[in-house]
Amino acid sequence: MLKALDYVRLDPVAVGFVEMATETKDEKATRFERDVMPFLDSLYGAALRMTRNPADAEDLVQETTLKAFAAFDSFTEGTNLRAWLFRILTNSYINQYRKKQRQPFQTSADELTDGELNEVGQQLGMRSAEAEALDHLADAEIVEALAALPDDFRMAVYLADVEGFAYKEIAEIMETPVGTVMSRLSRGRKLLRELLREYAAERGFVAQEVGS
Amino acid sequence: MSCGNHHDVPCIEVLSLMWVYIDNEIDDSHRVEVTVHLQECPPCADHFTAEQTVQARIRRCCTEAQTPADLRSRIVSQIQASLRSD
Repeated sequence: MLKALDYVRLDPVAVGFVEMATETKDEKATRFERDVMPFLDSLYGAALRMTRNPADAEDLVQETTLKAFAAFDSFTEGTNLRAWLFRILTNSYINQYRKKQRQPFQTSADELTDGELNEVGQQLGMRSAEAEALDHLADAEIVEALAALPDDFRMAVYLADVEGFAYKEIAEIMETPVGTVMSRLSRGRKLLRELLREYAAERGFVAQEVGS
Repeated sequence: MSCGNHHDVPCIEVLSLMWVYIDNEIDDSHRVEVTVHLQECPPCADHFTAEQTVQARIRRCCTEAQTPADLRSRIVSQIQASLRSD
């Protein structure tokens, strides 16, 4: 039986908290504004998708940048700043915002069995004609489908498909094993496509029925 | 799902590797096997293309977010304030 993990390239990723040499507060602030502020839009975009509303997204980004600034001496220049920031963002979301949401936290993101991992490719069964039909959906409908995913799935899909993070980086950001990341990704992507198919069908966009 | 031709690596295995391939997480030897398979198997190639089309669509709809100007200035002010705090 094939194990998907056997096929994954494992690169070490530096998302490190390593002691930094002495630096004045002004120098630190300058370095922070120069290095971190360019990521603000992508942090805000991710916060919007995580919290699903602009007010919470603003609070989350503000909290993230404050924590990042406080911990910035411990960030080693030249290591993976983007992943480091996303880890703080994700942690803050999990600790603060998720628990106050009315919707109970859903996690069904357990490890996939080998058999399930092997089925993933076929279960999707997407054809390019259908994908082109989904391409006609409005941005708002795609966002709505993404918002409907359980938290862990939504974050994994967002980090991989929108931000383009590697599995190992997502594992660091979500503080979870790579196998769990792959499981969340495959389930999240599958669920997202099912939703997009439903929306497309409602809009009369679906090209043809797909055999699998 | 299958084109009916014989392949060195069967369709079921190639499809199970689809996401690690698309995500560029696959090791080199399997990448070559999948690439060769896709060149000779149009149905599998179509699945891969379809998933990449959907992935690109998802990315496009989520990359336009702009930080509100007042949030940006609040953050800058807080950093400045923390410099004066001690």
